[in-house]
Amino acid sequence: MATKKKKATHARRYRKPVKWPFWLLLMTLFQLSCMLQIYINGTQESMVTLFTVYGVYIAAEWIYFFVFGIILRRKSFEIELIAFFLTGIGLTLTTSVYPDRAYTQLVAVLMGMIVFIVMLWVLSDTKRVIKLRTPVAILALAALGITLIIGDEINGARNWIVIGDGALSIQPSEIVKVAFVFVGAATLEHLQSTRSLTKYILFAGACIGMLFLMKDFGTALIFFFTFIVIAFLRSGDIKTIFLVCTAALLGGLGILTFRPYVANRFQTYRHVWEYSNGGGYQQVRLLIYSVSGGLFGLGIGNGRLRSVYAATEDLAFGMVCEEFGIIIAFTVLLTFVALVVYSIRYSVAARSTFYSIAALAASSLLLFQAALHVFGVTDLLPWTGVTLPFISRGGSSMMCCWGLVAFIKAIDVRTYRRYDKIERS
Amino acid sequence: MKTLSRRAWILYALAALFVAGLGILFYTFWSNADDWAMRHANRHLYAGDTLTAAGSITDETGAVLAETVDGDRQYNDDRDVRTATLHVVGDSEGYIATGVQTAYQEELTGYNFVDGVYDVKRYGKGNDLQLSVNADLCVTAYDALGDEKGTVGIFNYETGQLVCVVSKPAFDIANKPTENINNDTTGEYEGVYMNRFFSGLYTPGSTFKIITAASAIDNISDIDDQRFRCTGSYGIDGGSVKCLGTHGTIGFERALNVSCNSAFAQIALQVGTENLTATTNALGFNQRYTLGNIRLAQSRFDLSEASQLDLGWAGVGQYTTLVNPCHMLMIVGAIANDGQAVMPYLVERITTQNGDTVLEAETTLGAQMFSESTAARLQELLRSNVENYYGDRRFRGLEMCGKTGTAEVSSEEGGDDPHAWFVGYSQREDLPYAIVVVVENGGGGSSTAIPVANEVMQAVDDLYGE
Ligand SMILES: [Zn+2]
Repeated sequence: MATKKKKATHARRYRKPVKWPFWLLLMTLFQLSCMLQIYINGTQESMVTLFTVYGVYIAAEWIYFFVFGIILRRKSFEIELIAFFLTGIGLTLTTSVYPDRAYTQLVAVLMGMIVFIVMLWVLSDTKRVIKLRTPVAILALAALGITLIIGDEINGARNWIVIGDGALSIQPSEIVKVAFVFVGAATLEHLQSTRSLTKYILFAGACIGMLFLMKDFGTALIFFFTFIVIAFLRSGDIKTIFLVCTAALLGGLGILTFRPYVANRFQTYRHVWEYSNGGGYQQVRLLIYSVSGGLFGLGIGNGRLRSVYAATEDLAFGMVCEEFGIIIAFTVLLTFVALVVYSIRYSVAARSTFYSIAALAASSLLLFQAALHVFGVTDLLPWTGVTLPFISRGGSSMMCCWGLVAFIKAIDVRTYRRYDKIERS
Repeated sequence: MKTLSRRAWILYALAALFVAGLGILFYTFWSNADDWAMRHANRHLYAGDTLTAAGSITDETGAVLAETVDGDRQYNDDRDVRTATLHVVGDSEGYIATGVQTAYQEELTGYNFVDGVYDVKRYGKGNDLQLSVNADLCVTAYDALGDEKGTVGIFNYETGQLVCVVSKPAFDIANKPTENINNDTTGEYEGVYMNRFFSGLYTPGSTFKIITAASAIDNISDIDDQRFRCTGSYGIDGGSVKCLGTHGTIGFERALNVSCNSAFAQIALQVGTENLTATTNALGFNQRYTLGNIRLAQSRFDLSEASQLDLGWAGVGQYTTLVNPCHMLMIVGAIANDGQAVMPYLVERITTQNGDTVLEAETTLGAQMFSESTAARLQELLRSNVENYYGDRRFRGLEMCGKTGTAEVSSEEGGDDPHAWFVGYSQREDLPYAIVVVVENGGGGSSTAIPVANEVMQAVDDLYGE
């Protein structure tokens, strides 16, 4: 009796899933209109490339929904809709700004989708997760260590590994983000042994320390934030968290004092207009062109921000403002809030704390990174140069984002079971 | 699991913080949009420093003064027109702050937060702007100033339409003598970027006697019965206010006709500091005027530390008083318009490329500067000045009313010769136009400013009179 009642409560918690065919169709139309705008503007000269990129991407969307929605009869697709929507915007920016890199980005997107599906499979079995956690932790530390030794410095941070003559460049810190959440949630699954907690703290400290040495402060901050979220969810100990934050703050101030070049990177903060042709060049252009787009945007290819250095990576938010309009740009940001809210709502009904913590950590990581990007580049917070998840161009970060949303997807029991079965049982 | 979901609430707080941040960001965008979009680094609107996205600027008749052709800013074909209208049209670098290309740059591009620069992208240019001035009249006025620096402004005192605004020196914007301006040692280009009509401040000299007279009419009941003695100067507390002539014993009206300093110093002392200050306040001294997007320089009148001698000097328009020419034009316009001031306007109409009107000039009333009876008496006095002193033959057929001024300037203001002023209007019903002329260091108001005023007013008569 008792279990039956409990099940019924759970079933009620699942709100009616959104009608995905309608939203998928709407999204496809949106993406086709993006393609049409690029076609008219001629920013992508090769028609073959243009039609291939959009054709393959839209086909991938429909195949995914066909397999999971119709064959496997899954019902809840909010997470995928958000991920496909954001990815589509990023793909549009890359295709129209860098005609020759459109294929590379498309491949990254497809690999991201594969990472997503593989991750869902891995996460389906908690025993497998526990088995994998130590190897993943070691691999993550190794990847960061190798980067630190043989990595290349691009834009002031030594966080790239370039293979061949720039044929393939990987950002290991992006891929380690997924591992960081994975290890964090898995280590703390069988608590409350102090030993596992200590191990995780050591692991997190090592990761963050190496990122600091690479001078990738933005990513270090994201890792630190995620560590705090996981530690708090696990312990609920607000005093300890407060102490850790204070210690980190003091450490940060110490670094600013003893390593002035770090402070120099932030000298334009709140003064970008005074350095409009120096250190504030990119941000000033971003502000000017963001408001030039108006609420509805100038259309793909009509922006001017695209000609500024690293616009599709560092200034992705501004490009969306100028070409898609401020309304869509803010909608994009609100979808990150939706991911967090989704994770919180479903954390109660998750199969175990592993799924809850993983989803909450992954979604707040994405939200935090989006916040650093948007508020940093608009000069409301110090600019750390982190990318906007899903939108900014980059293969490693694309795979990382899809990997992270797999954690959010996995929290929902319906991911692994058919909806009608849950309701019947 | 339950404890965990309770802890998860802290993530709601983080999400709320993020949403609040988005709110702040949106507000920052919204409140700074105009400022940011108008930065010269915005290549949607500017090429270098030139506002290429602006629509055309035309004069009252529709003659094109500036327009963008294939991303290039081009000006009127006639060199004289380009020079005479420089200060109202403005330069592309924004040095001439009151020129419409600067003061109305946002309206000219049609930029707004909702649509951004979409219309500029769509039509290749922004909104068209029609000025209220007549370009030919401006050329006449600019030429009438001859080799002197100064300004001429004329407006319809019933509607507020400014038909002529010129400021000298100017330059031909199509062939800007940048080198000469930057290396100017002769003073030839002194204040060339300032529109003297809107931004200039001058000692008013005897034109201020109109104001002292107004205060006397309001505050001294027997002013028309009084007699004043002039021996070439009037002594106050050991000092004296000097007169330009020796006028003997004269009445109020005659004192204004001949512009007797001795008489007006005595009148100022009778009126007193308080009343004179009240009159100037009612006329808008020490007050900031804006005509659309154009800010006028603020006229100054301050007797707070004045001695009796200073009060005497203030009554004849010397002391520390400074007047903006456009403000002075508003004051005489109000006299002509029975005491009711009408705000001058420079922009007739702004239209989008698809013909929608964004802005259309309309007559805006200012303060009731004078009571109707005071205005009527001042009309008689100003008419009397021309009829009985300057002579109607110097304004043939115009039926002018007005007052000259010869403003002594201290050496720090530069130049030894006084500034020559004329302010006035035609009392013909078919010619409701008021004029102000200032010729810097031009000498006597009557000898220098009246011929300029006459020449331009005759052109006004040819254009608008019946
Ligand atoms: Zn006298």
